[in-house]
Amino acid sequence: MSASSLGSEAASHPHRWARIAERGSWWGLRFTAWLFRSAGRGPTLVLVTAIVAYFFLTDRAGRRASAAYLRRVHATAVGRAALGHPPRTWDSFLHYRAFALSIVDRLSIWFGRTDDFELELHGFEPFDRLAEQKRGAIVLGAHLGSFDVMRMLAARHKTVVNVLMFTANAQRINQIFRELSPEVETHVISVDPGSVESVFEVRRCLARGEHVAILGDRVEPGDRHRSSRVPFLGGEVELPQAPFLLASLLGCPVLLVVALRRGPQRYQIFTEQLAERVTLPRRERETAARELLTTYAARLEHHCQRAPYEWFNFYDYWGDDPFSSG
Amino acid sequence: MKTEFHFRDEDLRLGTHLVDDLDLDSIDAVDLAVRVEQKTGLSLDEADLKSIRTIQDIVDLIDERL
Repeated sequence: MSASSLGSEAASHPHRWARIAERGSWWGLRFTAWLFRSAGRGPTLVLVTAIVAYFFLTDRAGRRASAAYLRRVHATAVGRAALGHPPRTWDSFLHYRAFALSIVDRLSIWFGRTDDFELELHGFEPFDRLAEQKRGAIVLGAHLGSFDVMRMLAARHKTVVNVLMFTANAQRINQIFRELSPEVETHVISVDPGSVESVFEVRRCLARGEHVAILGDRVEPGDRHRSSRVPFLGGEVELPQAPFLLASLLGCPVLLVVALRRGPQRYQIFTEQLAERVTLPRRERETAARELLTTYAARLEHHCQRAPYEWFNFYDYWGDDPFSSG
Repeated sequence: MKTEFHFRDEDLRLGTHLVDDLDLDSIDAVDLAVRVEQKTGLSLDEADLKSIRTIQDIVDLIDERL
């Protein structure tokens, strides 16, 4: 959301994910969505597992990233108990397979086939309270578990959750929906670096009492100078300040929502309020933002330790892999 | 606002360009808009913000609306 240029930044370390995402081609995504619609969940799960297995076999950097992450989880007492043993290659495969399962669940949600989902709620009160007050919030998530499950939950409670998404991804997803499922309303707010439109769109959503969801665990291209380094699983990672800056500007609360897969179409959803009112005075912005992001990272760490395979950042997240291609 | 945004006196002329001279980005722009709204009671939208390039543009906009 800054004015700095995209092209040159995308090649630098924190934005590797943008290029990695390109490996999942748009045709592949389209075909998978088509298969799900015409053949259903079973055949799609076979296809997605095969695709993910292919990535597992061919993407050495991804495998190494998974192993490095699992080692960090295992280094914590809670993570050690959850994994049961020091991570092996098989555990990295299970990590990849969890991603496949989450993709198929996402497709179910995107196409409205949600009746069979079983949701176990932990702390939904902040949403109830905001609904009573007719107020919207910034809903912070991560590439941890399924963010779409949260949208399904919101739909069940007749609450609108708009998702703030980087323009290139938003266009791709919107196009698939337009072609395959025009009746589905995506509620995607497209973000263009340097543009003010998306901020005003967020403002309008909040004014209507709707929520705006943001995945806060990756620094977007262009957000480089608005990020903080915070502790995470025994190292330090760079996280974007943008969600908290938005909340500060627009005077709304920030909630954290994490939905973890606990079985076939069975999810535990954890909701908590990270801040009722974010105040980031410009003079103390760095310190205040870092403090908020430290809390956010600590909560992510808490969930990673309990559900290690649900973390879906298959790249050198800590930026300390000397063999990473960059 | 000058203190809040860390602007220097010598940078604040009517012709000062907000992006080129003061290095404001989209979040700063909305921050500025919210503060102008709070000070003046005006309501600004993205079209207003897009039309603003310099400090003179802000002065003109407020003058026109008040």
